[in-house]
This record gives sequence, C-alpha cells and structure tokens, in this order.
Amino acid sequence: MSKEDTLVRMEKAIIEGNKQETETLAKEALGQKMDLLEVIEKGYARGIQMVGDLWERGEYFLPELITSAECMKAAMSILQPELEKAQIQTQSRGKVVIGTVEGDIHDIGKNLVASMLAANGFDVIDLGADVKLETFVEKAEEKNADFICLSALLTTTMLGQKRVIEILKEKNLRKRIKVLVGGAPVNQKWADDIGADGYGENAMKAVKVVQNISKG
Amino acid sequence: MASVAEKIENLKVEFDEKRILRLIGYKAKSMELKDPVKKLIDEEKQKLDHLLHPVSIYTILDYEETNKHPIFSDAEKVALCICTIGLELEEEIKELMSENEMLRALILDSLGSEATEEVAVQSDRILAEKARETGLWPSKRFSPGYGKWDIREQRYVFSVLPGESIGVRLTESCMMIPRKSVSFRINFYKDKKLSTRKK
Repeated sequence: MSKEDTLVRMEKAIIEGNKQETETLAKEALGQKMDLLEVIEKGYARGIQMVGDLWERGEYFLPELITSAECMKAAMSILQPELEKAQIQTQSRGKVVIGTVEGDIHDIGKNLVASMLAANGFDVIDLGADVKLETFVEKAEEKNADFICLSALLTTTMLGQKRVIEILKEKNLRKRIKVLVGGAPVNQKWADDIGADGYGENAMKAVKVVQNISKG
Repeated sequence: MASVAEKIENLKVEFDEKRILRLIGYKAKSMELKDPVKKLIDEEKQKLDHLLHPVSIYTILDYEETNKHPIFSDAEKVALCICTIGLELEEEIKELMSENEMLRALILDSLGSEATEEVAVQSDRILAEKARETGLWPSKRFSPGYGKWDIREQRYVFSVLPGESIGVRLTESCMMIPRKSVSFRINFYKDKKLSTRKK
C-alpha cells in the first residue's frame, strides 16, 4: 500500500470513529518507519478537521465528535512515545490550561472539551476538578499557556471564573492569556459581563472559539 | 410537633429514549440512531441494574415549622425532598473516562441524569398525592437555585432532612454529592387558585 493510501485510511478511520483501525494503522506507521509528523498532520489531523466540518454542516453530532477524539487519543498514545524518543516536536496549535473551578467537582463537560482540544492539536494541561483559582493562573504562567479554560456548573462556583480574570489582571497577565468560560449556568452574557474572551456553549463550539482566537 | 423524615424506596426507573439522545447531543431530526452509538447505549443501559440505587427522603412540615422563607408564604404545609441514584454510577463514569471511553462516559452520565430526574418525578407524584389526601392543593416542584429560591437554601433543606441517611451530603458550595441527586420543595395550599399544578 502506498503512503498516500495509508494516510487516506488514517483520515477515514478517524472520520468513521474506528478505534481499532486507527490503532492498527498507527502501529503500521511505526513498523514502516513512516514520517510521523506527516502521519499526524496529513493523516489523522485531516480526519479530525473533516469531523469538525461535518459537525458544522449538521451531519455529525457530539457522539461522533467524541468517538473521533477518542480515536485520535488512541493513535497519539501509540505515536507519542516514538516522537519523544526521536525528540520530534509536534506542531502545537497553542497551549491550554483547563479545569473545573474550586468548589465544583463536575468534570465530564470539561473532560470532553479537553479531549477535543487535544484531538485538534492543542497542548492541553488538565488540572482536573475543584481547582484552586490561583492554581489556574500559576500553572498558566509556569507553562507559558495561551489559554485558560474554566468550567463551572453551579451558580455559586461560576463566580470563580470572574475571580480568575481578576487575578490575571492583578498579575498583569490578562492581555497575554486568553480566558474561555463554560458550564451549564454560563452563557455569552456572563462571559461578556466578566470580560472573558470567549464562551463555549458546547464542547465543539469551545474548540472553535479557541481556534478562532488563536488564529487572531 | 416536628415531622419525621421518611424514605421512598423501590422506585423503578424507566427511560425515554429520545431524551437520552438529546442529552448526549443529538438534535430532534437526527433521531435515526445507528451503530456504534446505538450499541454503546444498549450496553451502558445493561449496566444500570447494578449501578442505580434510587431512593428519596422527604418530610412534610407545617408552615410554622419551616424557616418561613418568603417562597413558602401562603402555604399550609411544605414538603421537602432529597432524591438520589447513589454514587456507584459516578464511580463507573470516572473509570470509563480514565480508560479513554469518553462516549460511554457521556452516555452513562446522561442515563444517570435521566434516572435522577425520574426519581424526582416519581417522588414528586407521591408527595402531590399526599397533599390531595389531606385536602390540600400541591404546587409544582421547585429546586433550590431556581427562581427566587436561592441555591444556598440547600443548607436549609439539609438542616431539616438527614441527607446522609440516603448517602447524600452537601458541600460548602451547596453542591450535592453524589452529583446525581435532586432536592426540591412542594408547597401545599388550602386555596386551589394558588396551585399552578395541572396533575
């Protein structure tokens, strides 16, 4: 099979959400000593791009997006150790610190956003749930992150999103680090009121917002 | 005399397929469900028999026994209730997420949300019936955090009801653990006109 055929099959496996095929192809790529950056960019990442397009056209829904993100993660977990061994850096679309704010242990929505950002080429640092507000800022500063994504599912904890923005201002980091907010009680008005850079109504919209901001 | 808390057990939870699909992100027109998602939903549903532990606890107070929050005004009695499906389902979700099974996790989470709602619906019906049995008119069910009943009133609900007896506790931020829990009130009125409830 030609290299082009393999890349097309990789793209197709992601679009179809076929985890087994995705993994088999990743192992084949290693066995055949393919250019791994090419495998990611021209194979798997194209599949993810296509899945995003299908979602925008209303043909794909959240379950298909998640399945494709799971496939991407499965492929990367096979390819990543080899990339690290060869000291090859994948092209990152940007660095994101993400977590659910202090006092709130809801994490499934946040995890979905994290996995979709990772599938779309972002370098994701997931701090988990019930994260101290100062920790978001400290981690973002330490890791030189471009974004902080804050999830809150309660009307009591969404105030934490506002506080993180204030901490960023106090530390003169507000201009450099963009802030995205999400969660059931959160809406665009809240994002505007607290001066966030974006609001992710759902997992894929969150990815689109981050992509748009990072493109400038 | 203070009212005692009573449990509602042996609730049977049934699912509305369309609601589950909406919860996992499908829109109304995309209801034609295909594999592999259909298969995953069926597989996760089969786990529910041992993952769901539906139970409620409630008490019915005379207005004078309540904290006289304005939301209770005009009520003759107030029923307060906490419902849950237990912690086991959430632990399974956590396990699935750690195994990169995000879609299964989302499906199970949605089934859990629906099951919790169903426990609340059934408990609500039982309590409304109790109002009618005493010649009173039940209001709709309202939870803390909705309308003029602040989420911090959860603390009042938990001060009246022993949530821990059904395994539910309240965090400082007024979140219930297990997350798949619901608390609510129903006002019982003497005057039919005050009740907005249809059935």
